[in-house]
Amino acid sequence: MSVVVDNACTQIWDALDSGAKVSSLRVSPVVYDAVAAARAGEVARHYPLMLLGLPLVADHAVPTYDPVVA
Amino acid sequence: MLTEEENEALCRVGPGTPMGNVLRRYWTPAFQLGDLPEPDCPPIRVTILGENFVAFRDTEGRLGFLDELCCHRGASLTLGRVEDCGIRCLYHGWKYAVDGTIMETPNLAATTFRERVKHGAYPVRAAGGLGWVYLGPPGTEPPFPAFGWASAPADEIVVSEIIMDCNWMQAQEGSIDSSHVGILHLDTLATMGSGPRSVGSFDFAGEPWDLDMQVPGGARREPGQAPRPGVWPSEDNAPRIELENTPFGFHYAAIRDVTDEPGKVYVRVTAFVMPYTALIGGSNGAVIVVPRDDYTCSTIGVFRLPPGTDPAAAAERARRGIDPAVWGPEPENRRLRLPKQDREAMAAGRSFAGFRGGNRVQDGAVQMSSGRMYDRAKEHLVPADLAIIRLRRMFADSIRLLEAGHDPVGRGEGADFRQVMAASQIIDAGQDWRDLVPGHQGSREPAN
Repeated sequence: MSVVVDNACTQIWDALDSGAKVSSLRVSPVVYDAVAAARAGEVARHYPLMLLGLPLVADHAVPTYDPVVA
Repeated sequence: MLTEEENEALCRVGPGTPMGNVLRRYWTPAFQLGDLPEPDCPPIRVTILGENFVAFRDTEGRLGFLDELCCHRGASLTLGRVEDCGIRCLYHGWKYAVDGTIMETPNLAATTFRERVKHGAYPVRAAGGLGWVYLGPPGTEPPFPAFGWASAPADEIVVSEIIMDCNWMQAQEGSIDSSHVGILHLDTLATMGSGPRSVGSFDFAGEPWDLDMQVPGGARREPGQAPRPGVWPSEDNAPRIELENTPFGFHYAAIRDVTDEPGKVYVRVTAFVMPYTALIGGSNGAVIVVPRDDYTCSTIGVFRLPPGTDPAAAAERARRGIDPAVWGPEPENRRLRLPKQDREAMAAGRSFAGFRGGNRVQDGAVQMSSGRMYDRAKEHLVPADLAIIRLRRMFADSIRLLEAGHDPVGRGEGADFRQVMAASQIIDAGQDWRDLVPGHQGSREPAN
């Protein structure tokens, strides 16, 4: 998870530096499930899963260690 | 966030643990040289990385760092006699040299044993007021981190250690967390007559509250003195963070807009030297966090004094304004106890955090408040936490590399530690912060 979060955070800063708006973080289903397992309480309360302030979206096309900021 | 398994791997430091194995591949600051002031002085017990050791200074002034328990019947050598170039166990008189050589075994006349066996002993280096040890396999030592400040004469160095009751990563992550400075330390900035005067909808009411507190660099604003905005020239609590890996770890820059100066930014560049040391912008020394065990750590401030400064007076000043009741029972009161918050001052808007004593007390309070070992599964990191995120990645990468038979990252090969520095400066918005740290050697590429 530390690699995924680091790669995502670096991408977010790159996007912000270039003036882009960021609205979601696309991750592999493996990562999505790992976050959901760690945040079982939030899932039970029907909160959206979020990472680094962005909503998480599970995407089979995204490699495990390379999330995509959208 | 980290999973429970990742958090365990990050936090536990004992022998044989993933992180314990990694940390044993770096030089570790283990004790204060001031605790062994002269040849044959009393030995000290040192607890680091979940193990106990004895440190002593022999008759010739050499430093020894040995496994604590006598290899005969396990009595503590911290009870021992330091004499005639060795330390002698009280139980049966076995005597050891600084390199672990068994010099005498009074209850065993034959010499074969002591000729073939050595007691556990570890390399020791003295630098910057500290004794540094290497606990890894012999022959695997990295370059010694010979920082510029570490070669200063002993009377130009002041060392200030705080023992805290929490896992070391809570303190280490705090040492590289720039975005809390203008918030948690609002009272300190107010005493300095500088920086933000609000946090969200909270606004300071009136004058600074704790004028006796210890402030960085002695930048105190005395009563009646005009505000000194140049000390912390920004009210921006959402710094932009830029980070680059280096051979020693990473540099990161917290970049803030300068109040009333369009086109200028206030940059604080921190150098993080794996795995223990942060050189923080605006400081003339280092903050070093070392795990004692899984649930206690030492936060050691090492600061260089201007020539001619009285070290004792400087050490005393470092505790200015800190209630003695805050400090616990270790020698020289090194253990931090949580002080009582001044809720009245907080409610009246005269204080933000309510902790008297300055940054160290404020930091210690929040870091210990997370519990003995913080569970990182539920946290919500934000982009401003990039340095913390990178630190965890470097440790995770190091664990993986070491398990694959490689060296961990940031051991400093090729780095000139004398040139490793931090910075704190106002620059043009278009200027590169890397210009402020000439020994940067940075790269945006992953470390491995």
